[in-house]
Amino acid sequence: MSQGPLHPSPHPAPPLAVEHLAKAYRTGGRLLPVVGDLTFALARGEIVAIVGPSGCGKTTLLNAVCGLTPADSGRILWNGAPLDRRGRPPSGIGYMLQKDLLLPWRTALDNVKLGTELRGMPRGQADERARALLDQLGLHGFAGAYPATLSGGMRQRVALARTLINDPDVLLFDEPFAALDFQTKLLIEADTVRLVRDGAKSALLITHDIEEAVSIADRVLVLSGRPTAVKASYTIDLDCAPDDMIGARESAGFGDYVRQIWADLDIPRSTLGCAGRGISRAAARS
Amino acid sequence: MSDAVTGLAPIAGKSQNALPRDGARLRSGALVLLVQIVLLAALLTVWEWQTRLSPQSAFLFGSPSAIGRFLWQGLADGTLLRDAGVTALETGLGFLIGNLVGTLAGLSLWYSTFVSRVVQPFIVAIGSIPIIALAPIIIIWFGTGLASKVAMSTLSVVVVALVTSYKGALGVDPDQINLLRTLGARKPQIFAKLVVPSSLADIFAGLKLTVGFALIGAIVGEFMSSSVGLGHAIFQAGSLYAIPKVFAALVGTIALALVLTFLVGRAERMLMPWRDHL
Repeated sequence: MSQGPLHPSPHPAPPLAVEHLAKAYRTGGRLLPVVGDLTFALARGEIVAIVGPSGCGKTTLLNAVCGLTPADSGRILWNGAPLDRRGRPPSGIGYMLQKDLLLPWRTALDNVKLGTELRGMPRGQADERARALLDQLGLHGFAGAYPATLSGGMRQRVALARTLINDPDVLLFDEPFAALDFQTKLLIEADTVRLVRDGAKSALLITHDIEEAVSIADRVLVLSGRPTAVKASYTIDLDCAPDDMIGARESAGFGDYVRQIWADLDIPRSTLGCAGRGISRAAARS
Repeated sequence: MSDAVTGLAPIAGKSQNALPRDGARLRSGALVLLVQIVLLAALLTVWEWQTRLSPQSAFLFGSPSAIGRFLWQGLADGTLLRDAGVTALETGLGFLIGNLVGTLAGLSLWYSTFVSRVVQPFIVAIGSIPIIALAPIIIIWFGTGLASKVAMSTLSVVVVALVTSYKGALGVDPDQINLLRTLGARKPQIFAKLVVPSSLADIFAGLKLTVGFALIGAIVGEFMSSSVGLGHAIFQAGSLYAIPKVFAALVGTIALALVLTFLVGRAERMLMPWRDHL
């Protein structure tokens, strides 16, 4: 079903398509609809960022997409094929969270190699790949270090290497950079974008950082509050190299995108303590 | 990648800080040891002095010098070493069997929520039985030799080991389980690569706790019926009002507990090398 990159068929199925996804949770006898009716697709080689108000079910969406939480209704198609009946995560995805989730009893190298062990890749080959990835991420010389001795930024780089080791087609990011300081964040963002673009991978980035979304993604989807649906979609076109995080922020259109998305999020001004200086709701390209 | 170096900067400061703190810790450790020695010496001096004042208290409490004589005599004629050796064997076997069975059972309960819910009340029930109440039955079943003491020791250990290891297995971060699942792990792989190693800290906490329980089990077994062992020596000396001899055997018991605890600590350091970095 999946198409090799050298021989694309005229209409290849997108790596990931979500159709009319809905999910509710039962809390205290009441049914709380979290995801209402969500439809979007991730094209090959595309980076899509999803922003939404707090508690709008972004993480629920991600867990449903990779089969960790079953959806109530709707379809999730990986390369055109639905999840199997046990809802096992499809192979060929990488999953990265805000928590680095490194195993403290493994060295950086062994953490990176985790995915290769689970797939039974020969040890020598796994070693070579893991070392190459650590080198690419500026962690040369830290292969034998335990996570507890690494800084937050380095730990997240190890987590990124672990995510990439099985060479996934699609990467799912759930606010992976949210806990990092601004400087480290920009550096890791640039590395991530470079590795995703160089590997011709697709990525879905869930974030509540609008600037991060605009500077990284090809397309930004804005979600509404619960029950969640896609409210607006922006195709980002900035005048800079795709992995230039500072250049993106200096580009002419950057501020407009950020303002429009901010307006779409519709966060009540009273909670922000600023007077009603009306930003006109720009028509969203949907 | 030269710009990445800036992201790595924090680590340099971290390792430089470590040295002076280690020195301070070493110095305060020496002070703690000194105070401990002084306290022990003071206790023994007061004890000796009091028992020399009255023959009555010498009879009731024994004197450190008399205890020392019995210790020396026991070491010289080999009786103390033989008693300690037998008790060490009983305790060691009970400790190993109890922890092995308990830990395996506790960890494997992680596999099935259903089974763990079914057996939970039984575990609580068994865990609440005072082991000494089982001693008469154990002796009937296992005889008066080594086996009954090992059984007592094992029973004292097994439920604690089960509960601590199961608690460890339940404490695994669900996000980490999800991560392994997205990497393609099946349940046995999650068990081997995640549940077992992340339960090690709790398992070792249980091991340290059960050193004492294993020793209690063995000594209670020796109290009930035995011809050798530290518990036998304590019981016999006690019934003959030979208080210094009781204390001498107690010193042997304490030494045994310390050696076992030390061995568990060494095993922990060997099996969990990453802990030195936490």
